[in-house]
Amino acid sequence: MTKTFEEKLEELRGIVRKLEDGDTSLEESIAIYERGALLVKQCEDLLGTAEMKLTELGRDR
Amino acid sequence: MMLGGHSTGPERFGTPIFGVSEVSGLICDLLDDARLRRIWVRGEVTNYKNHASGHRYFSLSERNGRSSAVINCVMWRTSASTLAFAPKDGMDVLAWGSVEVYEPHGRYQLIVREMLPAGLGERHLMVERWKQELDEEGLFDPGRKRPLPLFPQRIGVVTSPTGAAVKDILSVISRRYPADVILSPTAVQGEGAHVEIAEALRRIDGLVDVIIVGRGGGSFEDLFAFNHPDVVRAVAACRTPVISAVGHEVDTALCDFAADLRAPTPSAAAERAVPERREVLRELAGCEERMRLLVHSRLAASQSEVEDLRERMRPGRLARRINERMQRLAEHDDLLRRAAVARVQRERSALAELRASLAGQNPLAILERGYCIVEAGGRVVRSAASLAPGERVTIRMMDGRAVAVVEETTYDEDL
Repeated sequence: MTKTFEEKLEELRGIVRKLEDGDTSLEESIAIYERGALLVKQCEDLLGTAEMKLTELGRDR
Repeated sequence: MMLGGHSTGPERFGTPIFGVSEVSGLICDLLDDARLRRIWVRGEVTNYKNHASGHRYFSLSERNGRSSAVINCVMWRTSASTLAFAPKDGMDVLAWGSVEVYEPHGRYQLIVREMLPAGLGERHLMVERWKQELDEEGLFDPGRKRPLPLFPQRIGVVTSPTGAAVKDILSVISRRYPADVILSPTAVQGEGAHVEIAEALRRIDGLVDVIIVGRGGGSFEDLFAFNHPDVVRAVAACRTPVISAVGHEVDTALCDFAADLRAPTPSAAAERAVPERREVLRELAGCEERMRLLVHSRLAASQSEVEDLRERMRPGRLARRINERMQRLAEHDDLLRRAAVARVQRERSALAELRASLAGQNPLAILERGYCIVEAGGRVVRSAASLAPGERVTIRMMDGRAVAVVEETTYDEDL
């Protein structure tokens, strides 16, 4: 199952924290940076392109 | 009056005489009774007068067959300003207030704080009863309140499909955040509205991340369905968090108390339901910027480290280091060689010394001083007794030998 927006944002915050603490190796830093950049892109796409959709439930259910 | 002249007080024919204020005081005491305070009184309005001062004077009356009862009422200007209807003679009303004595006029009267048409008033009382009952069931317990999701994907809206509320909600959500809105339509007022609202809540529950239930503002009557226990219980039973938005700022309905969050208006509910897209985008941009700076500075640090290492590994530098080592090695080699030579020389001179001292010990050296060694049969002769006359001996001298024959042997007596 794909992550929700909230989970993605949380992961992104975690990545920033991890980059900040400086204990990660260079390889890992770059790998998680790439992951973070992907998350930013996905989140922005979700927010940027999606529009509100309206559905109406039938009353006779 | 004071015919008797008694000292205990005025009286006439044995009966004490009271002052008016004393009697009035007694009446005040009698009427100062909790049963007459903060009560609802139902009756018909008569003699209604809207005084220029803004105070309202009227009576409430009740007729039962031939008997009838009347109580004078006054509603002060400040209380009257909250009246939601225009009272008229003949109206059946519920008045809320306390009975007080007005001594200057010798009247008791009901000071009315609140007044409602009787049907409406009864509904108010019903809502009060429901509120107490539902509260006792624990439906309003603050501990039941759940947090709302921060980034809902689907928003359920339980309201009239034609009302202003749904338009307001849609406009706020479309402006703020790209969520899906699922409308669960229902009548929001009128006969049976409470049943429909409760059903609409049950239909949408679980299909969305958060539910907004409500309607735009209206009169107490208009909002009445949102007080109904069916609706309140349906809100409390929702597995999905519920935002209640019934009416405007001043109105509250019981369903507000059971919801996880109460919003003053449907628009406010929509604002609470979804985040602001621009703020989230700003946070994302901030995250990206921070990440980029961090990785860049990390890369820059690594790069300068590599640079430094490369500098230290340069060929020229390496050759210099090799030369340095070679030189040091050569120096050591030289030292070693010199040490070895010195050692050999030392040994050699020690040997010469040894040889010289050894030379002093050579038995043949005495021959140089004129001594001879006599040998017979290859052995050195030490004793005359070992020789016999006629025996051949060899005499060894410094530079050669002579062979001689023993003529005779003698002994040195004293030896």
